[in-house]
Amino acid sequence: MSVINVENLTRDYGAGKGIFDVSIQVEQGEVFGFLGPNGAGKTTTIRHLMGFIKPKTGNCHIHGLDCWKNSDKIQKSLGYIPGEISFFDDMTGKDFLKFVSQYRNIENDNRIQEMLERFELDPKGKIKKMSKGMKQKIGIVTAFMHDPDILILDEPTSGLDPLMQNRFIDLIAEEKKKGKTILLSSHMFEEVERTCDRIGIIRNGKLVTTDSVETLRKRHMHTYNVHLDSPEAAKNFARDFDGICNGSEVTVAAKQSLETIFMHYYGGEKNV
Amino acid sequence: MFNATLYKREMKGSLKMLIIFAAIISMYVAIIISMFDPEMMETLDSFYEVMPELMASVGMSAGATSLIGFMISYLYGFILLIFPMLFCILRGNSLIAKYADNNSMVTLLSAPIKRRTIATTQLLVLISGVLLLIVYTSGLEIVIAEINFSGALVISELLKLNAALLCLHLFIGGVCFLASCVFSDTKYSIALGAGIPALMYVLQMLANAGEKAEVIKYFTFFTLFDANGVVAGESAATMGVLALLLGAILLYTIAVTVFCKKDLHI
Repeated sequence: MSVINVENLTRDYGAGKGIFDVSIQVEQGEVFGFLGPNGAGKTTTIRHLMGFIKPKTGNCHIHGLDCWKNSDKIQKSLGYIPGEISFFDDMTGKDFLKFVSQYRNIENDNRIQEMLERFELDPKGKIKKMSKGMKQKIGIVTAFMHDPDILILDEPTSGLDPLMQNRFIDLIAEEKKKGKTILLSSHMFEEVERTCDRIGIIRNGKLVTTDSVETLRKRHMHTYNVHLDSPEAAKNFARDFDGICNGSEVTVAAKQSLETIFMHYYGGEKNV
Repeated sequence: MFNATLYKREMKGSLKMLIIFAAIISMYVAIIISMFDPEMMETLDSFYEVMPELMASVGMSAGATSLIGFMISYLYGFILLIFPMLFCILRGNSLIAKYADNNSMVTLLSAPIKRRTIATTQLLVLISGVLLLIVYTSGLEIVIAEINFSGALVISELLKLNAALLCLHLFIGGVCFLASCVFSDTKYSIALGAGIPALMYVLQMLANAGEKAEVIKYFTFFTLFDANGVVAGESAATMGVLALLLGAILLYTIAVTVFCKKDLHI
């Protein structure tokens, strides 16, 4: 049975806003990328999973538990990075992490230290005075501090610099190796391409496609045979364009980036 | 049902406000009790004769000859109503609605803690604050009265009076807490949480002001707090206090239930 199971979830906010008949299954140990533009319904879906809002139609379960009725049980083994980070502004980062760890009743705080070092975060200052990136790091530490089995990450790298984004991607890869189930929402194609097994693309509240990264890529890959004047030139051409050289013939594949694929679903036919 | 970590944090958050209000109340209680003086009473009574509506509208009435009667006239009509009420309004709003409004409710909910536990803990913080204020006031009144007029204050009467006052503020706290739970926007939470008690207080002032306006007293819950009646042991006054207490419990129950059931777009 799927760890995260969203079935026919609909939430109509009127005027075409909301989510409509969204179904998502995420298996144990899988990293699922939830891709969509702003306002497509990613956060609304996640709010249902977190038990913040009650499903009007459809339902969602995590580990077979109803996300609305049993949110407290689910949260025991769930880590969450909210899309919009907002903590207790009156506290220092250090006090806040201490508060959350006591509030959650976590005995072992080695993990906090490890995460702070990994993201080079000094949490001493007041949260109010922190930059967006630092708040995001606090959010990451908070989500991982209890070593959860399931991670729901809503645009987790927003505000992080490229170096820290890479560290975060490494962290996801490590967690995946440990068998964690991860749902990662993003509009960063590279991040999703590098970390996820499967991708669901949501647009205007409807899940447009769900497929593995490979399948999505293959579907949008074109190959060309190029004939060059000499084998020498062919060799160079193959090297520069990442092709396969066969005498003076070179086969090159034009892999569309996920971004282009995404635009196909997002922007309609005219963008292909 | 209760989270000690959250309670500790919120009580710390109440502390500054409690100290400020306790200081204001201390000042007034000390000054007003020391003003008790039969000669002074005559002066105040003469004020009352000159402008009875104005004096009555702020809860001051003529003929208060005992110390407790004097205190009821000059403390329990304004100071001890307004300041604990302000505490309820400000804290009530920030305990739930503010968290929902600025999204930090996410932190409280993305943990293995039931919503009911969060709401109950926050409610206990509000009740604790009110209780601390009233208990402090009672102690202070007894001490100041003993220093100035040893033996003039009947302590059992004062305790009865303050128990009634506590029930009134628990009720006001209930109104504020319910507003905080219903609205996820502090704008509305404050508007109702502060608006209703303030309106009720103004109505009470109007009802006190004149005979013609007396009918207004049926439209404000402050009428249920009849300080003189409570001290005199009138059963109607006791019923009023009981109604306030039951009302408070009802408001708390509704507030917690609303919070448990509502959608939080955080």
